[in-house]
Amino acid sequence: MAFSCLAKIEMNQSLSPEFVGFFDNARRGVLSFPRCGACARFHWYPMPRCPHCRSADVRWQAVSGRGELFSFTSVKHAFDPKRADSLPYTVGLVTFVDAPSVQFVTNIADVPAEALTIGMPVEAVFDQVEDGRVMFRPVPLKSGGIA
Amino acid sequence: MTPIAIVGVGETPAVRRSEKSLRALVVEAVSNAIDDAGLKASDVDGILSDGLVMPTTVPRDFVAAQFGIDRRYDGGMSFGGAGSACAPQLAQLAISSGLAKVVVYYFGVDWGTRTSGPYGFHDLYAGKMAFEKPYGFNAQPSYFALWARRYMHDYGLTERDLATIAVTQRQSALRNPRSQVKKPMSYDDYFAARVVSDPLRVPDCCLITDGAAAFVMTSLERARDLPKPPVRVLGTGFGSEPVNGDDAFTQPGGMMRIPGAKAAAERALGQAGLTHADIDFAEIYDCFSISCLLQIEEAGFCKRGEGAAFIREKGIGIDGRFPVNTHGGLLSHSYLLGVEHVIEAVRQLRGDSGEAQVKDARVGFVGGLSNPDYGVLLLGKD
Repeated sequence: MAFSCLAKIEMNQSLSPEFVGFFDNARRGVLSFPRCGACARFHWYPMPRCPHCRSADVRWQAVSGRGELFSFTSVKHAFDPKRADSLPYTVGLVTFVDAPSVQFVTNIADVPAEALTIGMPVEAVFDQVEDGRVMFRPVPLKSGGIA
Repeated sequence: MTPIAIVGVGETPAVRRSEKSLRALVVEAVSNAIDDAGLKASDVDGILSDGLVMPTTVPRDFVAAQFGIDRRYDGGMSFGGAGSACAPQLAQLAISSGLAKVVVYYFGVDWGTRTSGPYGFHDLYAGKMAFEKPYGFNAQPSYFALWARRYMHDYGLTERDLATIAVTQRQSALRNPRSQVKKPMSYDDYFAARVVSDPLRVPDCCLITDGAAAFVMTSLERARDLPKPPVRVLGTGFGSEPVNGDDAFTQPGGMMRIPGAKAAAERALGQAGLTHADIDFAEIYDCFSISCLLQIEEAGFCKRGEGAAFIREKGIGIDGRFPVNTHGGLLSHSYLLGVEHVIEAVRQLRGDSGEAQVKDARVGFVGGLSNPDYGVLLLGKD
């Protein structure tokens, strides 16, 4: 499907040092966010110091990878010409109970945008993460459909 | 502080693609503004631009050299829309303190020719490059599409409400001979338009333009001796919050809000000694239909979640009770990141807007968004 084309698109490799831990963990199948060792609060995107208390003791905290879909859009225009063959694709914004104040931009895999609703449970997918990207998909129900 | 006025405005024709270089466009706009003021370039002793886009494209030293301006004052704050709306704040500080007597501000882009323009601009942000662009989330329409979808869910906004903003501003643009778009647009046309990042369609998004605009400021006292009716700077306000550009479109601090708008509006109104009820028309940074609506709310014209009802009840057309973007705005006039909003407010207050003239316009509001920064400029008839 269109989605798999995205995996071939090159990542920007000039990563800021404070970003690297995210991708190292993601390649091991772990979703993690920066959390302050002093005040225990999360922040996102990664900053050199905790933006809540200015501590430099920022650590990567693994989270469950289960979240809720805060919003989403089906992108139908090739803002980047390299993506012209992968339209439409779905960008979602995901929130987490175990990482408050983090809102994660991702692609929603497996289902078309028409099947998505705000607030639906989603989970991280680690089967296409050679470049460190983390996709999400709706949480499958035991009965077959999606939640 | 010394009262100041805008005494000259200049611009280039609003076109998708210009044959001219951005440098040539800026020179044309500045030249037109100085001529309009009835001044000579040698009268200008201060040059302002925004703080980010112009310094890396057409810097102020280039403008100084082209016009032979011996600068005694030089500056720029924020970027894009907030930079244009707040330029009179810098000019007033300079003029009040005696550092300068006549100050020109300019802004322009060639993003119609340089087609990666607005998207390339956001490549400046390291977090976006690492965590957003790899997911195909690298364009402003997608950012605001996420906002629009969630806002619809939370507050019952409809696609027709967004259409009302786009259709009304198109009607205003058609009454302005300078607008880039000449084609009428009905509600049916809106709904038939291509979806770019759902729920947003092409007419929910700003145009792309090559062009430049400039304006000249001096003390109100001197302005009264110049040929054009002075348009007085009644108040200026800058506002922001500790949200960085990486976070501003997706994280809780900036998402679905306009961080600096409330503070900027309060500061400008406080300085002017005015309230929202005194404002006769507003030129609001309408990069997208949804962002225009949110600014109407956050700048304090109505409450959170009530923007759509406010627009329906007041009417934002030129003959409505709350005219917004009387030139057509970024959606239908041109996309020069808000400097044209300042020029249009000046024209309205001079009474020069012809068929697009707001009746009895005495006080105009200009809102400039450069997320997470916001600038408000209040202008009035002398």
